[in-house]
Amino acid sequence: MGFLKGTAGFVRFAIEGELPKPFWDFVAERVTAFSFKDIDDTYDEFSIGWVSIHNMFDSQFNFASYANGDYVTLALRIDERKVSPAILKKFVDKEEERIKKEKQIPKISRTMRTEIKERIRVELMRRAIPLPAVYELYWNVADSTLIFFSTSSKAHTLLEDLFKETFGLTLIQQIPYNTAEHLLDEAGTTHLARISPAIFV
Amino acid sequence: MDLVDLIIEKRFLGQEFLTWLWWKSEERGGGVELPGQGDILVVFEKHMLLEYGEGEANEKLICRGLQTELQEARTGLTMGKKLEQARVRLAQNDHEWNVTLTATLMEFRSVRLPKTGDTEQGGNNPEELEGMVLERIFLFEELVRLVNDLFRLFLTIRVSDQWHDELLKIRAWVKRTSAT
Repeated sequence: MGFLKGTAGFVRFAIEGELPKPFWDFVAERVTAFSFKDIDDTYDEFSIGWVSIHNMFDSQFNFASYANGDYVTLALRIDERKVSPAILKKFVDKEEERIKKEKQIPKISRTMRTEIKERIRVELMRRAIPLPAVYELYWNVADSTLIFFSTSSKAHTLLEDLFKETFGLTLIQQIPYNTAEHLLDEAGTTHLARISPAIFV
Repeated sequence: MDLVDLIIEKRFLGQEFLTWLWWKSEERGGGVELPGQGDILVVFEKHMLLEYGEGEANEKLICRGLQTELQEARTGLTMGKKLEQARVRLAQNDHEWNVTLTATLMEFRSVRLPKTGDTEQGGNNPEELEGMVLERIFLFEELVRLVNDLFRLFLTIRVSDQWHDELLKIRAWVKRTSAT
């Protein structure tokens, strides 16, 4: 959202953990290992991985396109097959009607209903086209900070997990309080922990 | 304390910062002096969100308008509402940013970067692309630095003995501006 053009929305993360050396070789190896794998031609329900910030179909990173000066630039791509509850209900109802007629029974048992629902869900899921989402980021290596171009908390959780898995480093979202801890000296931070809300009227 | 507890318990810190910044920007007609850097322009404009109370008792007040004096928002302050989001214009040297800052999570929303040649025209060859990316990173980093510098200015006063006097000035401003 807006890293390369237009209006942007972002949050900041601090990166905790020691950077392995040589750093850029480590990044090259890990980014490739956790690059995005397409699921268009499979039946997988979910795929997550890294792609180039310039092209969501580029998960090869030719010419080390994740390196921009002293910054690591990446896009997090998530493809997910989804079936809307309304569509699932429609096809489950339809199948139940079909079975009732076929077997000449007035009612479908609970066990059978569960089985039908799961079978239909899998069938529909296979027919669903994976929905893509792409979120960009850049990593300031010198400062150990990261800017993530999305304000969605669901995307933040997915990022934190994949980042940890890829690089073995922990992301801590920077809200006012922990940002303050970075900006103040030790005495200031101790004092900060004790302040209570001010009243402006 | 884990992050979720910090967000809830220390929520007031971001809200106080935005309120302080609003007062600070109006104190000298938009100019805020940053130590060692001189004046930067800080203008609150167009869009503001105030909140009051928690959970089910939560009330929101949204104020919008092109040339608004944000009168409702000022009145909101006198009712004890807290500033949760504000649209701010920041300018230093020849660069001007627009950003909606949120208080609780410190998100940067709807960020407009200063217009520069390099950010407007990304070429197709790798060097031009890298130049464009680095230029945009530089402008994002500058914005974060400015907001952090302003936040540091606030924090230094907030944890010091000066806060008492600062708070009296803010209270006087709330009273004065909501009455006009």
